[in-house]
Amino acid sequence: MTSYRLGSGGAINRGQSLTFTFDGRSYKGFDGDTLASALLANDQMLMARSFKYHRPRGVVTAGSAEPNALMTIGSGARAEPNARATTVELYNGLAAASQNRWPSLKHDFGAVNDLFSPFLGAGFYYKTFMWPGVLWEKLYEPLIRRAAGLGKATMQADPDRYEKSWAHCDLLVIGAGPTGLMAALAAGRAGVRVILADEGFRFGGSLLSESAAVGGRPAAEFTADVVEELASLSNVTLMPRTTVFGWYDDMVFGAVERVQKHVASPSPDLPMERLWRIVAKRAILATGAEERPLVFGGNDKPGVMTAGAARTYLNRYGVAVGGKVAVFTNGGSGYRTAADLLAKGVDVTAIIDARPQSADPVPDGLRIIRNGSVIATKGRHRIEGLIAERSGFEEVIGCDALAMSGGWSPIVHLMCQRGAKPVWSDEKQAFLAPDVGGAFVAAGAAAGQTSLGECLTDGAAKAHAALEALGRLVGSLETPEVEGEYDPSFAPLWYVPGARDKAFVDFQNDVHVGDLGLAQREGFRHIEHTKRYTTAGMATDQGKLGNVNTAGIVAGMRGVSPAEIGTTTFRPFYTPVSFGALAGTARAEHAAPVRTSPLHGWARKNGATFVESGLWYRSAWFPREGEKTWRESVDREVLNVRTHAGLCDVSTLGKIEIFGPGAAEFLDRIYSNSFLKLPVGRARYGLMLREDGIVFDDGTVSRLSENQYVMTTTTAFAAEVLAHLEFSAQTFWPELDVRFVSSTDQWAQMSLAGPKARIIMSRVVQDDISDAAFPYLAAREVTLRSGLKARLFRISFSGELAYELAVPAGYGEAVADAIMNAGREEGICAYGVEALNVLRVEKGHVTHSELDGRTTADDVGFGRMMAMQKPDFIGKRLSMRFGLTAADRLQLVGLKPVEADKEIKAGAHLLKDGAKPSLANDQGFVSSACFSPTLGHFIALGMLKSGRERIGERVMVWDGLRGSEVLSEVCPPVFVDPENSKLHL
Amino acid sequence: MSINLLHRHVLEDHISGFETDPNPNHLSVIRRPVIFSVLAHAGQETAVAEALWNAEDVAPRFCGPSEWLAVSRTVGAETVAGMLSAIAGASVVDQSDGRALMEISGPSVRKILGRCVAVDLHPEVFEQGHSAAMLCCHATANVARTGADTFEIIVPRSFAGSVFEELMEMGREHGLTRGFAD
Amino acid sequence: MASLITCPHCGTRPKEEFSIRGAAAPKRPSPTAKDEAWHRYVYVRDNPKGRILEYWHHVAGCRRFLVVERDNLTHEVFGVTDAAELERAGADE
Repeated sequence: MTSYRLGSGGAINRGQSLTFTFDGRSYKGFDGDTLASALLANDQMLMARSFKYHRPRGVVTAGSAEPNALMTIGSGARAEPNARATTVELYNGLAAASQNRWPSLKHDFGAVNDLFSPFLGAGFYYKTFMWPGVLWEKLYEPLIRRAAGLGKATMQADPDRYEKSWAHCDLLVIGAGPTGLMAALAAGRAGVRVILADEGFRFGGSLLSESAAVGGRPAAEFTADVVEELASLSNVTLMPRTTVFGWYDDMVFGAVERVQKHVASPSPDLPMERLWRIVAKRAILATGAEERPLVFGGNDKPGVMTAGAARTYLNRYGVAVGGKVAVFTNGGSGYRTAADLLAKGVDVTAIIDARPQSADPVPDGLRIIRNGSVIATKGRHRIEGLIAERSGFEEVIGCDALAMSGGWSPIVHLMCQRGAKPVWSDEKQAFLAPDVGGAFVAAGAAAGQTSLGECLTDGAAKAHAALEALGRLVGSLETPEVEGEYDPSFAPLWYVPGARDKAFVDFQNDVHVGDLGLAQREGFRHIEHTKRYTTAGMATDQGKLGNVNTAGIVAGMRGVSPAEIGTTTFRPFYTPVSFGALAGTARAEHAAPVRTSPLHGWARKNGATFVESGLWYRSAWFPREGEKTWRESVDREVLNVRTHAGLCDVSTLGKIEIFGPGAAEFLDRIYSNSFLKLPVGRARYGLMLREDGIVFDDGTVSRLSENQYVMTTTTAFAAEVLAHLEFSAQTFWPELDVRFVSSTDQWAQMSLAGPKARIIMSRVVQDDISDAAFPYLAAREVTLRSGLKARLFRISFSGELAYELAVPAGYGEAVADAIMNAGREEGICAYGVEALNVLRVEKGHVTHSELDGRTTADDVGFGRMMAMQKPDFIGKRLSMRFGLTAADRLQLVGLKPVEADKEIKAGAHLLKDGAKPSLANDQGFVSSACFSPTLGHFIALGMLKSGRERIGERVMVWDGLRGSEVLSEVCPPVFVDPENSKLHL
Repeated sequence: MSINLLHRHVLEDHISGFETDPNPNHLSVIRRPVIFSVLAHAGQETAVAEALWNAEDVAPRFCGPSEWLAVSRTVGAETVAGMLSAIAGASVVDQSDGRALMEISGPSVRKILGRCVAVDLHPEVFEQGHSAAMLCCHATANVARTGADTFEIIVPRSFAGSVFEELMEMGREHGLTRGFAD
Repeated sequence: MASLITCPHCGTRPKEEFSIRGAAAPKRPSPTAKDEAWHRYVYVRDNPKGRILEYWHHVAGCRRFLVVERDNLTHEVFGVTDAAELERAGADE
C-alpha cells in the first residue's frame, strides 16, 4: 500500500460512501472528496499521460492549477474533456476516463515519443514539417494531432440548460479562504451587500487543510462558525462552486457557477452552469497563492507533488499520498507538511532542504539534508525513490511520494487582465498584484502575505478600507489568534542543477528547462516569444504552475532579475469556461428574440409559409392544394391581385407618430422632397437621404392633423430611421418642437389591393371611400362597421387600386378575417411578401435591392423629389457633388429577355451586347428579378450605366457565377400600367 | 354589414391549455390594460410630469426625459385619453394594443429578473414606484416595481411571445407559474 | 463581457443597451459651408488615441443620444451628457 485513506479525519463525510469508475474500474470514495482525492485514497496515483511525451503523470496539486490530472468526465453527450480531477467533486456514479493514451493508461504506445524526445524539443514541428506545404494539412497536422493532445470534445448536442444572470453588490470578495472569509465577515457585519465567491464546493480555502488552531479552536471549526454567520446575514450572498474568471471594464466581473456539475442526476429545471456578470462597487482579491513546484530532474513522476497538495490531501481529505514520503523544499512549507504527515502517523523519510540553514522547527527524529538537492527520481508509474545530492555526494533515498515546495506565487491573474502588469518583488521573490486603483485590491496571500495570521488580519483590514470608501464603516473586526503556525518564508530556487532527467517547468505542455534554453539560444528571448516557441504557459492551465518558474529560469539564463523578464499577458478566463455557459439560453428557439405580426394568426390560418426577415416572421406565400412550387402560389396570388383583390400583411412596416408645431419643418429637413405644404388628410411618398447624398430609406408620411403625422418606414430600416430622426432632432435641431414615438406594434396593418379593393373595403368601413371622397393618397381616421376606429391610407405598392388599413393590433386578426369574408364573392386571396415583390417589380417600384446604399435619388428616377429650393435638408449639400451627378452613373432601368422563355437572375452583370464577358466590361447589374405572371415572362430591374438614355438597347445579362448569358432589352422600369390608370380607379 | 370583432391577446396561444394554481412565484398577464405614450413638448416637461403623477387611476412609467407610458388597469381607454389630452403641452398616443403588460411576483422575483435584466433591482436602488426602460430578455421593456416583490413588465407586442417564453424559462428553477389576470 | 455607461436619465446600464454612433466632436456645417467643411464632416475622422467624445444612443433605454467622454485606451469614462443639453449649453455660450 502506498497512498491510502487514513482511519479518521478530514472534511469528508465518511457516513456517505460514493461509487465511481475510472477507466471502467469501480472505486469507492466519500462525500466531500474530489475525484483526485478519491483516486489517491484508492492508491491510484497514475492518472494521466503527458501531452507530448506521453509520460506517466499523477497529481501535482489539489486545486484548479492542476496541469496533469486531466480527465474526461461522463459519457455520450455529457462527456466533458480535460476536467481537472483535483476540482471535480465526487458524486455517485461519476465515470472518469484518462486521456491521450492507447491502448491503456498503464501501457501507452505513445510513450515511444519519450524515447524520441531528443528530437522533439521546442520548435521541432516548426523546423521539421516545413516542406512541402501541401502535406501540412493532409499529413503532418493529423499525425501530430493524433500523437499529442488532450481530451476529445463530444460531437453530440449538449442536453443541458445554461443560464446567465446579473448580480450587483457593494463588495465582491473573490476567494473564501482565511482572507476572504474575514473580509466578507467584516463587510457583512457592516450591513453592505456582499458577494463571496469561491471556486471550491466548500468555503474555507487553505483553512480546510490547516492544522493550526484559529481563535482557540481547530481551523475547521472556526471556518464553520464564520460560514454559518455569513449564511445568516441577508445582505451576504454566498456563491460556492463559482469561479470569478474575469475582470472587465467598470468593475464588472465574470463568473461561472457550476450549479449541477456535481449532481448524479441533474434536474431539468436547473441549469448545468450559470454565467454571472457581477457589478461591484468594490472588490477584494482573496485568491491566495500558488505553491511553486521545484524544477529538478524527474520532477514529473507520479507521486511528486507540491507540499501544500500533500498537506491538503492529508488534512482535508484524510488521504496519505504515500506510505513513505520524502520532502524537497526551499522554505517552511516542506517542514509544515512533514510535521502534519508525521502527526498523522505517515512515515517521512527525509527533508531535503535546498537552504544551508533555516530556523524551521524540525520534528523529532526527522532527517534533514541541508544544502541538498534532488537530481533524479526513480520508478516509472510511480516514484520509487530519489537521488539526493549534497556537496558532490549522491544518495538514494527510498520514497513513494515526494512533497516539494519552491515557494509561493500570489494568484494575481484577475488584477492583471485589463492591461496592468504584475510587479516583481525582490523581498517576496514573487510577482505581486499591480496597483489598479482603490476599487479593486488584493488581500492576504494574493497580496504577498505569507502567514495565516497575516492573511486573517489583512482580509479584515482591506474590508474596512472598502467600507470606509463606501461610507459604511462601523467598528472593526477583531482578528482571531493563530496558534501553531509555521513560518512559510522561503529562499529562491528556480532550478536545481545537475538534473539527470528532464526537469519540467510546464507539466501540461511537457516543457522542460532544456526547451527554455533552446528558445533563448535561437533568439526567442522575449518572454512572449519564449512562450510561443516552447508552448510554456499555454493550454488549459495557462501556466498557473509554471509561468513564474519560467520567468525565473529565463532570468537566470540571461543573468537578469525576473523583474526584467516579466510575465506573459494575463487574459480571461482564469480557468476554462464551457461554451454552454457562454451561450446561456441563446440557442435553438432562444437564439434570438422572434417578432410576430398581429396578423400572424390570420396568416397561419390561411396556410402561410413564413420567412424570417430580421427578427420578424413574415408571410411569404399562401400555398393552396395542388400547388407544388412556391412559384405556382406566387403567380396565382399576383394574378389574383391584378384581376380581383388580395390582402397582404404589412404590419411590419415601421410606424412613427410625430407631433408638434415643429413637425412640418422637421420633416421638410429630413426628407429630400417638400413636406411643409402636405395637407391634412393626405399621404405623401418621401425620400430620405444620408448626409453623403445617397438614398437612406423611403416611405410615406400622412398628416393626420395640423401638428400630427404618422410616418411609415421599410420593415428593414424601421429601427434605423427612428434612430436617424432622434439623432437629427436631438443633435442638429434641438430647437425644433417636435416629438415622436414608435407605434409599429400598436397597429395591425393590411394592404387590400386590386380592382375590387374599394367594394370590399366599403363593406368593412363605414365612411364614404369613393374616389371623390377618398382619392389616391388620402389618409385619415375612419370608423369600421363594428364601430372600431381605424386608420385608412390610399396608397399602393402594387400599382393597383389599394388601401392600407391600420387597426389596433388586438383586432387585427378579426378585421383581416372580416375583409376576407367581405371579399369572398369578389375572389379575394391572401398574398405574401413574395407576391408583393413581384407586384412592385412589375410596377417598377424600388426597394432596398435598388436603394442599396450606393444610389442617389436621380439614379432611381426620383430626381424630381430633390427639392433643391429648400434651404437645407439632410443630404442636400453633398448630393450636388460632381460624382453624384455624373452622366455615366448607374441608372434604374427595366430589363426583359429577348427570348421570352429565358430567365434573368438577380445579381447578374450587365454587359454591352457583344462585349467579352469580364468584369472589365461591367456596365451594371440586375437588382431585382422575377417571373411576371402578368406579362408571362421574366422581368427585371437593373442599374445600368447611363441607363435612361439606353432604352431599347440590347444588353447581355451575364451571370458568371451561375453560368448563364441572357440577351435582354433595356426598357422603362414600369412594366405594368405606366399611365397609373389603375391607381385612380 | 355588421361585424362583431373579437379582440385577441398576443399571448393567447402561449397560455392556452391546462391552468395550474398559481405558485408563490407567478407571472400574471393583464388582458386589456390601457397604455398611452405621453410626450411632453419643449418647456412643458415638468408641468406634464406633475400632471401625470397627480392623475387618478393612471400610473406613470418613466421612459425618458419628457416621455412616459401612462398605464391604467382600472379605467378604459376613452377615459384615459380624455384625461391625458387635457394636459397642456402633452401629445399622447394610444399604445394599449402595441404593448403587453405582465406582472411578475413572488419571493424569488429578483433572482428570476436578474437573469432577464442588467439593472440592479435591489429595493434600496430600485424603489417601489420606480420605473425605467431597459433591456429585458433581449427586448426593450419598461420595468416598474409595483410592490416589495412585484414588478410590472411592459414589452412591445411583437416581442411579447419571446419575452414571455424567456421569462418562464428563467423562472423554471423557482416554479414560476403563469396565467391571465382575469 | 461588459462595460457600464451611466446614463444621466436611466442610471447605470450595460453597453448592450447602447448603439455607438461615432465621434461627437464634428459638428454639422451650415448648408452654405464650403465643400471642404462638408467633406471633413462627412468623411474625415481623426481616430485619436486617448480621451474622445462619442455619441452613444441609449436604444434600449431613454432613446436619447448621449455624449460619452471616455479614454479609448483604458475605457475609463469621464462623463456622460445628454447631447441636446450639451448642444443647448454650447449655444448659450
